[in-house]
Amino acid sequence: MSSETMTLNLKIWRQKNAQAEGKLVDYRVENVSPDMSFLEMIDVLNEQLVRKGEDPIAFDHDCREGICGMCSMMIDGKAHGGYKNTTTCQVHMRLYKNGDTIVIEPFRAQAFPLIKDLAVDRGAIDKVMMSGGYISANTGNAPDANAMLIPKPIADEAMDAAACIGCGACVASCPNGSGMLFMGAKISQLALLPQGEPESPRRALNMVHTHDQLGFGNCTNHAECEATCPKGISIEHIARMNREYLKAAFTYHEKNRSEGGA
Amino acid sequence: MSINLDPKIPQGDLKDKWDKHKFESKLVNPANKRKFTVIVVGTGLAGGSAAATLAELGYNVLSFCIQDTPRRAHSIAAQGGINAAKNYPNDGDSVKRLFYDTIKGGDYRAREANVYRLAQVSTNIIDQMVSQGVPFAREYGGYLDNRSFGGAQVSRTFYARGQTGQQLLLGCYSGMMKMVAKGKIKMFNRREMMDLVTINGKARGIIVRNLITGELERYAADAVLLCTGGYGNVFYLSTNAMASNASAAWRCYKRGAAFANPCFTQIHPTCIPVHGDYQSKLTLMSESLRNDGRVWVPKKQNDTRKPADIPEDERDYYLERVYPSFGNLAPRDVSSRQAKYRYDEGKGVGPTKQAVYLDFRDAIKRDGRDVIAGKYGNLFEMYERITGDDPYKTPMMIYPAVHYTMGGLWVDYNLQSTVPALHVLGEANFSDHGANRLGASALMQGLADGYFVIPSTLSHYLASTPLEKITTEAQEFKDAEEAVRIQTSKLLGVKGKQTVDTFHKKLGHYMWDYVGMSRNEAGLKKAIDGIRKLREEFWHDVNVPGDTGNFNIELHKATRVADFLELGELMALDALERNESCGGHFREEYQTPDGEAQRDDANYAHSAVWEYTGPNSSPIRHKEELKFEYVQLATRSYK
Amino acid sequence: MVTSAVNHYFKSSIGRKQLIAITGLLLCGFLVGHLTGNFLLLAGPDAFNLYAHKLASLGPMLYLIEAGLALIFLSHLALAVKLNIENMKARGKYQQKTKTGRGTTFASQTMPITGVVLLVFLILHLCSLKFGSYYETTVGGVLMRDLYKTTLEYFASPVATGWYVFAMICAAVHTSHGFASAFQTMGWNHGKYFKNVKRLGLVYAIFVGGGFAFVSIWCHMKGV
Repeated sequence: MSSETMTLNLKIWRQKNAQAEGKLVDYRVENVSPDMSFLEMIDVLNEQLVRKGEDPIAFDHDCREGICGMCSMMIDGKAHGGYKNTTTCQVHMRLYKNGDTIVIEPFRAQAFPLIKDLAVDRGAIDKVMMSGGYISANTGNAPDANAMLIPKPIADEAMDAAACIGCGACVASCPNGSGMLFMGAKISQLALLPQGEPESPRRALNMVHTHDQLGFGNCTNHAECEATCPKGISIEHIARMNREYLKAAFTYHEKNRSEGGA
Repeated sequence: MSINLDPKIPQGDLKDKWDKHKFESKLVNPANKRKFTVIVVGTGLAGGSAAATLAELGYNVLSFCIQDTPRRAHSIAAQGGINAAKNYPNDGDSVKRLFYDTIKGGDYRAREANVYRLAQVSTNIIDQMVSQGVPFAREYGGYLDNRSFGGAQVSRTFYARGQTGQQLLLGCYSGMMKMVAKGKIKMFNRREMMDLVTINGKARGIIVRNLITGELERYAADAVLLCTGGYGNVFYLSTNAMASNASAAWRCYKRGAAFANPCFTQIHPTCIPVHGDYQSKLTLMSESLRNDGRVWVPKKQNDTRKPADIPEDERDYYLERVYPSFGNLAPRDVSSRQAKYRYDEGKGVGPTKQAVYLDFRDAIKRDGRDVIAGKYGNLFEMYERITGDDPYKTPMMIYPAVHYTMGGLWVDYNLQSTVPALHVLGEANFSDHGANRLGASALMQGLADGYFVIPSTLSHYLASTPLEKITTEAQEFKDAEEAVRIQTSKLLGVKGKQTVDTFHKKLGHYMWDYVGMSRNEAGLKKAIDGIRKLREEFWHDVNVPGDTGNFNIELHKATRVADFLELGELMALDALERNESCGGHFREEYQTPDGEAQRDDANYAHSAVWEYTGPNSSPIRHKEELKFEYVQLATRSYK
Repeated sequence: MVTSAVNHYFKSSIGRKQLIAITGLLLCGFLVGHLTGNFLLLAGPDAFNLYAHKLASLGPMLYLIEAGLALIFLSHLALAVKLNIENMKARGKYQQKTKTGRGTTFASQTMPITGVVLLVFLILHLCSLKFGSYYETTVGGVLMRDLYKTTLEYFASPVATGWYVFAMICAAVHTSHGFASAFQTMGWNHGKYFKNVKRLGLVYAIFVGGGFAFVSIWCHMKGV
């Protein structure tokens, strides 16, 4: 742990609200310890701003241990700073040098309207999930947990996909603003598991449909999402979704039938 | 005002109580469920599972969360796992053993009937979560894998890599999303509960702040479920998320919900140490590390040598020395305290001296680097990312940090608080963990409350209580909203010099130094006095810029800190009044000759239940006596 | 909720992407066929002209194949243009260039540009060769078009050859991303094999782009 401190120049996107014009504003932060996290460095800046009676920078954050998915920020043009398997809150200042200039912008995409400064509305992710990102198992339905055997490699692969924290870095970094990685991860996870299999075709059709309607772009396989995903989720899951979707589109059939009885 | 502390424990044998109670509870006719509206505040494991389940049953659910989506609630950060008395490994576990371990682990300060029920439904939780697609770890044969956790003698912990909390929460979240799509849950994101509205003595609604627009909103319902988690952030530095706060629970307390055992806080022994004033939170390293890591400090005081330069015979493996049978796996409260003793003795390590070593050298030598990497690779990576040190080469440094609060709003067997219709679930209540919580039990409790307990007990309440028709135009709503508005403008009007965080940090110092791992009368009195003065100062010198009309992050923080400044005092008061040591509450005056906690079952086998009496008068301490019919009170020993 | 799945497929992002992928792979196949034909140039005028004549004498069948090819090409083009417009709208409007260096490649980023180059190239190519100067020759007693002469005449110009080589580099770049990308889009990405698919894509791109370019340079060197 080093005790030398740094001075950094920041260019931060400031925008009062969704309607207002925004711009990059220059700030200077002194006494930045290399042991600070990136967000703690912003805290220090905000403390300075509040003391001066200025409006602090609004940004999303919560757990600060890389799991809640709340923190965002494009740091020097890279989602979460672009370090491997790292969220913004886990970026530490020892990765920067005294005198560095850092540009900080919000996560941007048509599907993520801006709220204020660095905070954006990622509600579109919830909307995609609502349209099928679940297994319909009402409480009380469940058979014994060991009644269904799932081979370890399958369980592990499902876990790889399930690790998505819903941060939206995949969308923000995608040159097409596409949401295929987070959606693919969920569709893939649930298609891999026998519990999720019965609903698989419906899920794929409905989620993709919702995704398209929310203003996300189309995937053109840049794999920028995979590179920035803080949980290292592979685009293999997008491929599995593509497969599921293709299969569903040409085979799934549902007729409206009355459920009525006597 | 007097409060009713009847725990409403059902009659009958311990193992039949819950079944009998469910049978005797009144049901709401399926067609009538849609006539009831239930408010659920918080979307962690307790709130998420409750909201989804109640909506599936047919109730109209209004769900509120402070983050931008319910999936971010802090349950997500739990790493280790979730306990359940499945006895899959055939190693002698049973509902009774889980019950017994939980009661004992809580140092005999929890209610038997609640804990037994928790152990009973634990098995259903695993079934439910698996059916929702939670990818728990499995063996090659396809069966679920279990591990021993937190010093348990049996392997009853189910886990999903180091992300069990996240996976369980995503299970709840997906259940919620399904019901949101069906219109049975109305989701309100980025809302913070500002007050509880009671009409004719019953909880009938809440006032929330829309964190984006700053506007206050009113919502009415037939019952309110508070699932807002714990209050560890009163310490400023804790492993809780930044937005975790006590305000919702605290406002309920002020509206008549009694607060039980506020001084019972859990300090987790394996966190990454503090490294500077700017630090905003502490990061937990999974307790599972203690399965292979050895905890030590140098025998010499103020030893500044590098750990590798300290020879074997100059190292003090103090947990192994003091607790030969449990060794490095001694329970959380005990391990934390031992680390503090080492610091007090001047044997702490690292730049701040507030750290001890957790060393994997011997494990790597024994099992090889690959095996250790397989077990803890992601944790080692996380540690290196935060500290810049490589734990394969040099020992980790760890130190205890506030992690969980066992205390919370008092609830009866039905999870109902002293305010009718206000039910409290998960960490926000006080019911199951006594004075200390076992590892991997928090997830279990949150889900037990939400999935299996509340659906039964709430239907009984709704079916047996006459509920008047109300709207948000009722005077009580207007008054509550006005009170919030006044408090807000007061905060904005101070225009002082110190930032909100400055006050929060000062409060944190009082709490950590005097109401932390070990407490004594003088210190607690000092804390009470200091916190009172700090509160005074806060209301005269806090600087909250901006106004109410937008996304004002300083205002959000200020509201929470204002409540912490009151809660902190109550915690100190509770600690002062409990003249014994038990679990996470260690009073230096009450210890055995060899420094272990000394309980006083004759005088303190009760929950301390605090009643709010107004802003300028002292709260009243009530007791709920704990009757132990099925377990014998014994001294916890881990030697 | 989706009611008619097949109908939705042709409107959805994944459905349209898969159509682009399939048409792209078909075009890749066509290029291999075309290149095989081109190699006959190396075997001399008779072999090449005979081959061209055989194709031409397919009659209505040829028109059908050409129409099919045109349809594949035009759908590939139209869908790609539509998707690109949507993507431009959907992407974040950053002040700063965004790139990690581990995801997007030069090829993946320039797909629309290389695509447009290939479109322009194709039009010129058809004009100057297929519908270019007409000579006649007799091979084995049969009167036929001397496409060999047309071709060599065309490549005599250094500008024409340069442009051709440039276009073929674009084709190589385009397919170096497109080939593996099509597999991914169709869902044929399995951790075990996909690395090889990517390699195959690269080999394909170099072989096809290089092959065409080589033949054109050979023609240029040979002269009329």
